Amino acid sequence: MEKILLKNLGKPDYHRIDTCIAGGGYKALEKALKMLPDDLIQMVKDSGLRGRGGAGFPTGLKWSFIPKDPTLPKYLACNADEGEPGTFKDRGIIDNDPHLLLEGMVITCYAIGAKTAYIYIRGEFQFGARRLREAIAEAYDRGYLGKNIMGTDFCLDMFVHEGAGAYICGEETALLESLEGYRGQPRKKPPFPALAGLYGKPTVINNVETLSCIPAIIEKGPEWFKSIGPEKSPGPKIFGVSGHVKKPGLYELPMGTTLREIIFDHAGGMSGDRPLKAVIPGGVSAPMLIPDDLDTPMDFDSVAAKGSMLGSGAVVVMDESTCIVKAAYITNRFFSHESCGKCTPCREGTIWLTNILKRIEYGKGRPGDVELIESLCTNIFGRTFCPLGDGAVMALRGALKHFREEFLYHITNKKCMV
Amino acid sequence: MVTITINGQEITVDDGTLILEAARGAGFDIPTFCYQADLMGIGSCRMCLVEIEGQKKLQPSCITPVIHDMKIHTDTPSIVSARAGVLEFFLSNHALDCPVCDKGGECELQDAVHKHGPRHGRFGEVKHRFHDKDYILSPVIVKNSNRCVQCQKCVRVCSEVVGAGVLGSLGRGYEQEETSFLKNTLDCDHCGNCIEVCPVGCFMRLPYRYKSRPWDLKGADTICPYCATGCRMVIEERDGTVMRARGQLGVGINSETLCARGRFGYDFINSHERITKPLIRKYGKLEPVTWEEAFEYVKDNLSRIDGEKIGGIASARLTNEELYLFQKLFRTVLSSPNLDSSTRWDAAAVENFISAADMTGGGTSVFDCMEADTVLVTGTQLSEENPIIDYIVRRISATRPINVVVASPRGMKLDKSAHLSIRHTPGNERAFLDAVTLSVLSAVKEAPGSVAGISRLRGVDLEALLSSAGVSAEEVDALAKKLLVSESVSIIAGTGFLRYPEGSAGLGLLREVLKALGKEVRVLPVLDRCNQRGAWEMGVLPGTGPGYGGVDKRGLGFYSMMEGAAKKEIEALYIIDSDVLGDYHDESSAMDALNALKFLVVQDEFMTATAEMAHCVLPGATFSEKDGTFSNQEGRVQRIRRLSVPPGKARSGLEIIAGIGKAFTPSFVDGARVSSLSVFDEIRQEIPMYSDVSLVFNNKKNTENKLDNREALIKDSGRKIVPPAVEPERPEEEGGRPFMLVTGNHLFSSGRLSTRSAILGELLKGPIVEISEADAAELGLNAGEKVRVKGERFEAVLPLMTNKGTKKGVAFIPENFCEAPVARFFTPGGGVPRVSISRA
Repeated sequence: MEKILLKNLGKPDYHRIDTCIAGGGYKALEKALKMLPDDLIQMVKDSGLRGRGGAGFPTGLKWSFIPKDPTLPKYLACNADEGEPGTFKDRGIIDNDPHLLLEGMVITCYAIGAKTAYIYIRGEFQFGARRLREAIAEAYDRGYLGKNIMGTDFCLDMFVHEGAGAYICGEETALLESLEGYRGQPRKKPPFPALAGLYGKPTVINNVETLSCIPAIIEKGPEWFKSIGPEKSPGPKIFGVSGHVKKPGLYELPMGTTLREIIFDHAGGMSGDRPLKAVIPGGVSAPMLIPDDLDTPMDFDSVAAKGSMLGSGAVVVMDESTCIVKAAYITNRFFSHESCGKCTPCREGTIWLTNILKRIEYGKGRPGDVELIESLCTNIFGRTFCPLGDGAVMALRGALKHFREEFLYHITNKKCMV
Repeated sequence: MVTITINGQEITVDDGTLILEAARGAGFDIPTFCYQADLMGIGSCRMCLVEIEGQKKLQPSCITPVIHDMKIHTDTPSIVSARAGVLEFFLSNHALDCPVCDKGGECELQDAVHKHGPRHGRFGEVKHRFHDKDYILSPVIVKNSNRCVQCQKCVRVCSEVVGAGVLGSLGRGYEQEETSFLKNTLDCDHCGNCIEVCPVGCFMRLPYRYKSRPWDLKGADTICPYCATGCRMVIEERDGTVMRARGQLGVGINSETLCARGRFGYDFINSHERITKPLIRKYGKLEPVTWEEAFEYVKDNLSRIDGEKIGGIASARLTNEELYLFQKLFRTVLSSPNLDSSTRWDAAAVENFISAADMTGGGTSVFDCMEADTVLVTGTQLSEENPIIDYIVRRISATRPINVVVASPRGMKLDKSAHLSIRHTPGNERAFLDAVTLSVLSAVKEAPGSVAGISRLRGVDLEALLSSAGVSAEEVDALAKKLLVSESVSIIAGTGFLRYPEGSAGLGLLREVLKALGKEVRVLPVLDRCNQRGAWEMGVLPGTGPGYGGVDKRGLGFYSMMEGAAKKEIEALYIIDSDVLGDYHDESSAMDALNALKFLVVQDEFMTATAEMAHCVLPGATFSEKDGTFSNQEGRVQRIRRLSVPPGKARSGLEIIAGIGKAFTPSFVDGARVSSLSVFDEIRQEIPMYSDVSLVFNNKKNTENKLDNREALIKDSGRKIVPPAVEPERPEEEGGRPFMLVTGNHLFSSGRLSTRSAILGELLKGPIVEISEADAAELGLNAGEKVRVKGERFEAVLPLMTNKGTKKGVAFIPENFCEAPVARFFTPGGGVPRVSISRA
């Protein structure tokens, strides 16, 4: 497949605007600015592009929720708070091809009528933030940002905002709170950001990868985009493969590529050729899959049908040497550490689970612990304010579903099975 | 209106009603922790989850509005288990030190667990502890974070209602702790609203700590005795000692909120310095006597003096019943027209203000005022004088588009909620308001001709007004523009108009002009003594009788009485709860005047300097020791209830005044014992404004949060008073003294009650002087250091405080401190005094 998102990875100096323009950058913007905003939204709708942040919400539909009132300020917030363990796809774009993201953002702003755009970038991505700031300065110089972009009436300002290291700020409403300068905690929905987002104004929040798909859709048309991958979730997708594989890294493949292909064809197979034990298909909040599920096509609907989720497309591969109890403990520790503290089930529940899992892992499990975990999961799941607590439970339930024996072995024998 | 079904019962509610409110209204109980009416919903505690048919997940009812045809269940097995699950989570890291927790017995977490489970604890891990020992956040607030349920009510009430914004969260997840910035000692309003909203024992009252269990307390539902906002509160005592005062959710205009004075200023009641026996001067010494002797003594002495030569000064802290009987005693028994209810302002100023604020037109609800498009706050340091009105303005203006305009010489907390803050020079409310009126008139094509007094503005030079008010034309025009585009305007007008009586003319004219332009105008008077309005309406004024009725002969007001005493035209004074000597602008002439009296009766709870000079001292009762009613500034008549008996032989004012009256004429009051209710019945008959007010008061937990009890509002008297003209004041010459001195109440001190409160004394140790930050910087002075404040006739050395928003060249000293009797800087009619400030 022709690469779209990662096509410029490894090309020298591609983060410079000159190199980028020479390589065909900002062509789509030129085309977009000659079109009507509504037509652009329709194009994105027609392309079937679904949000790459994890939830898979149709992007064009999201844009179309923005009120058309021209007097109302509107905002675009690019979610670059890539914090899910295992995920590193956005970083690939930001570090290597920042102008692809910028071009996508300018087109998006034009389509939704926003005059201000923010990139909320994870605080740890110091390099990426610097790259983006340099890229934005270059774009201002060349008239791709600022007043009267490319000679049109369209004006746009763009800012980079560094987060302070909270995973929760990747949740769109917490991101907005943080962007406004408040404590990063999710807001109640409704109102949805499309009506009352940043500073209470209509706001679109899109993932880096989503926005980076936009130029190609404009340039090559929605039909072309739709022809890649399955009908209901088309387009290219970056899979970030990590764990026990020979060649971990970013792989841009059509949606619907099977796990087997990703792991064995592209990532070079299992390291040390040890047998596969489990694989997390989309970041640690996605429940694990087992070798039987290897032929699952990696698209939103197929993975969901297997009881997991595509999420950010971060594929974490675990071979037989992995202790699932330990993996579950570490995953859960992450969630309890990152729980924002707003709602009770997540704040109190995740740390309780972590304490139990830690005991089990360190040989201090008690009979009944597994049942207690399951009961606590019931009390958390679906009752939290935002999906963070649900994510923690889904991951843990996934581990218990396939590897309950391992937990029980740990409790009875006070030691690891592997 | 939408129709929904809750547990199979069909109900119809307004659009936008929250499921929680709808369900509670229909009588279904839904437990909550983070929900509080009047605070922004956050939906975080997850106690209020309900099931909505068609939705997979349980939904938080406290932030979910109803939608037509919604089918809601509040009692399904999954909800029951979810509640128990959430409570189990709360308890998992909760300290569970209930036996030593002040909240034990009235803890919402305890109650909820008793009701909703879980019945068994499954938590077998080590609890997370924030700290080992409770830590002190302020002289009145102590904190134990290990008990916190993270409902954020403390943080929200502090920023959304109080406007202090000094509480926030540290840490994240299970380590999240609601506290001050880096747990430092708070520099805040010390109002304790964080304590009141806390459902558990996390925020606690330091003065009440470990003193009692809730079930050992006996309480009385009453009204705060400080400013005239009329906040409802419960005061509670144990073994004769008043332990605490607390607000009640959904009760009174204040609901759960109180200010520092109301919540912590109760301890003067417990003072050991109370007078307990009637005293008569014998051979130059005050000796204890029986009440009968005292009444006879008063009668003998007063009956020897011509009524015209007797004066009466009754504090505006007395009940309506006491004040009514007091004026009845003077007008009918003693035949004296000389009555006043304030030692601070002139009777003519009062009448002008009553007229300008249209107080004869009946009650004005603050909630009606907040329905307006523009709310102008003028002549008051609202955030300090009437904190609860400040809370109401802040809270309501955040939920609705209202132009809030604050005009005052000093910066105040409410500036943050204002769209426009104007700083004018002190004492120039009239120049400022006249400038606004002129600006309004210049913007309308046809000036309304029917307005009386409008001719006053003809030929007035706008520039001169602006320069004397110290404001710019842009500020005045901006306010005028807001007024012009508003359909309704509310003016919150305070004691500045009483201190500088000229201002009332400006206020009255602006009100009339706006009315003539077709706008709905309301004036809410904001006063600083709990029953100031009642005192005026009971007729304790030299120029008006009960219900603003006319008087046969105009009597003397306070200042005239003092002058009369010095000239021996007044021979006897009966003073209740006023320290005339301390409040008078010139101590030696006050001393001379009181010394010249043939007979001085002082009725008080404490041995004041004035009482020391009396021939007869009658021990009175505090608000907690009597029944009666207060009329708040809105004209809402509310009952106070007796909690305990006065110490020793002290009696309520009602009994004392009735006793004196009966000594003269046995038929002065009906029956053997005077009761507040029978006197109130007499008030209903004599004062038509009061004829229909309802004293019935619902003390149940008000789930609908209806704070505006309109049945307590008095009605239009149908009368207009024609106030005497006030002389324009001559502003004092600068004379090398660059600061204009203003005075008024401080957040922690508003008169003699507060100076007797040890707890409030902790918050404000003594008098201070406050100037703007800019002035302090120019003078090279720092907050906290001692400075010398020098006026023409008086000087004091005081600690300096700074205020960011205050106008340059304005200095403030709080009233009522004996150590710095600020009145001595002032001369009646002498305008705003000038002082210089230098390092002491």
